[in-house]
Amino acid sequence: MGATQQYAIIDPETGKIDRRIFIDQAIYDEEMAKIFGRAWLMIGHESLVPKVNDFFHTYMGEDPVILTRDSQGQLHALLNMCRHRGNRVVRCDDGNARRFMCTYHGWTYANDGTLEYVPGESEAYYNALDRSALGLIEARVDTYAGIVFATWAVDAPSLEAYLGDARWYLDTVFNRRDCGMQALGPMKWIEPVNWKTLVDNCSDNYHVPTSHLSSLLVQSRYLGRPRLSHEEQFQSPNKHVFVNGHSLTFREVDDNTPRYVHGMSRDTFHIFQEHYNATLPEVEQRLGTFRARQVQLGNHSLFPNGVLGFRLALPRGPLKTEFWHFVLVEQDAPEAIKHVIRTGSQANNGAAGLFEQDDIDNWCQVTTASRSRIARQYLQDLSMGIGHAGAHPDYPGLVSERYISENNQRHFYLRWQEFMNAESWADIPLDPITARFEGTATA
Amino acid sequence: MHTSAQTATVMVTPQQALWLELMQFYIREAWLLDERKFTEWLDLFTEDVLYFMPRRKNVPRRELHREVTPLGDLALFEDDKRYLEMRVARLDTGMAWAEDPPSRTRHLMGNLVVEPLDNGEVQARTAFLVYRSHLETDQQLFAGSREDVLRQVNGAWKVAKRTIVLDANVLLDKNLSIFF
Repeated sequence: MGATQQYAIIDPETGKIDRRIFIDQAIYDEEMAKIFGRAWLMIGHESLVPKVNDFFHTYMGEDPVILTRDSQGQLHALLNMCRHRGNRVVRCDDGNARRFMCTYHGWTYANDGTLEYVPGESEAYYNALDRSALGLIEARVDTYAGIVFATWAVDAPSLEAYLGDARWYLDTVFNRRDCGMQALGPMKWIEPVNWKTLVDNCSDNYHVPTSHLSSLLVQSRYLGRPRLSHEEQFQSPNKHVFVNGHSLTFREVDDNTPRYVHGMSRDTFHIFQEHYNATLPEVEQRLGTFRARQVQLGNHSLFPNGVLGFRLALPRGPLKTEFWHFVLVEQDAPEAIKHVIRTGSQANNGAAGLFEQDDIDNWCQVTTASRSRIARQYLQDLSMGIGHAGAHPDYPGLVSERYISENNQRHFYLRWQEFMNAESWADIPLDPITARFEGTATA
Repeated sequence: MHTSAQTATVMVTPQQALWLELMQFYIREAWLLDERKFTEWLDLFTEDVLYFMPRRKNVPRRELHREVTPLGDLALFEDDKRYLEMRVARLDTGMAWAEDPPSRTRHLMGNLVVEPLDNGEVQARTAFLVYRSHLETDQQLFAGSREDVLRQVNGAWKVAKRTIVLDANVLLDKNLSIFF
């Protein structure tokens, strides 16, 4: 592999990881090339650009990107950079426009990226400018269940292969209904943390009874929600799965009850139960009986930076991350359900979220502990449950024996290492798709 | 020159009297928040309150009607009284880590504009600067406006609807674990 640095930042036998990956600028710069320059990144949702000529401003890593739906209805992910000097051609968060004009010298692009107009093309440029070679830089785009992904890598595998068997689980929420989903948001805020700590935390079920104890207590009292004590979590039959860098948790259901989402209370449970009952035949047709009735997705993250339902962790240097929090609701869900999910999501996981608030200082201090002279010499310990995960007869992926384990964290950092040590996509392994995708829902 | 303490009768219009009454209301509220008397603060809201903080977007000047997201879109706060009570009850558990140790806040409220509504309620707009200092060196400065609908309940003003609009697009630090 020539002069490329070889990373050995985690010992899979002990779960010890080197903290430099949370603070080092050179490592961060390499992450931007080797991870954010290669992976399929979540950038938005089709419902954010429902009509022709709609656009939504987003990011791939630190690069500003315009998600557009052109006049033919095609999606594009265009680097928000005029090819002349590099000024942004869009400064709004979203909107509807057929063309984007650079405010510097007036170069004007169609919403499919084509450079349409350059002032002075014949007079000042003497018709020597090759406009066709100066369109906005375009990333590869694909969608899964309305969620829009993009990659800069021409040699990246298909999105279907990239998601692999993770899709078997994701389908149970995102590909559940014929009507599809609608994205609301995002709220945006910056946290002084390394982006990986947030992603790793979203499959860390171990922290919930401690970090979130105050919220669990009051929500149990006011809303009749479960306490989620340590004891319950350790004994939980819920599963924790790892596929291709993606972390998934799910509940094995045997009681025909709906997925327990933020905001649900003893007062609103029945609305969700009625909706579950009413839509179950459709869901069985889409996902097959087994998945429709037995598998309910919980916390999850998609490698590298898509987490927890619909959340982006956008890196802003090694010590900062910009969070984008969306909520997804089924397009035709009853208004009462949309209301509960929307308000429950902001009240729990947003910038003001009862749960989210209590995570942030933990994450900040994990980042700062990686900086100081003595602290940074001591490795992080991710040893929980080593040797207690493997194949499962019913469930695809690497399945841990217990809901509470650090299996997924170890594999997240091993996946990070695979990307960082690879010369190209040819060196990055993908798990073969082995799941049986029953039902009519497609990728 | 020598002035003695004198009481002078000052004529105020009913509008001015209302303005003075509500200015006192907001000054008291700011002190309650900064002195962390959150249970008393909660009592300033009606049982049917909507405590709402929409998002603020970058839109072209000609599309300013889209700048502040409407009710029904994802908001930073969309709390009813029960959620506000939960937020306060959480602080009292001693395990609300975002606020334990607690933030040091300073709420500066001003620019009060009062407009009586036909149904006896009053619309009151204020501008604010809120400073938050947390732990050792973390700090945030929030600027924004509030639009309240106030209602008389048993002779006291209460907030029946509060819309808080921050003058920020991307919030710059940590979280919103304080009240506005």
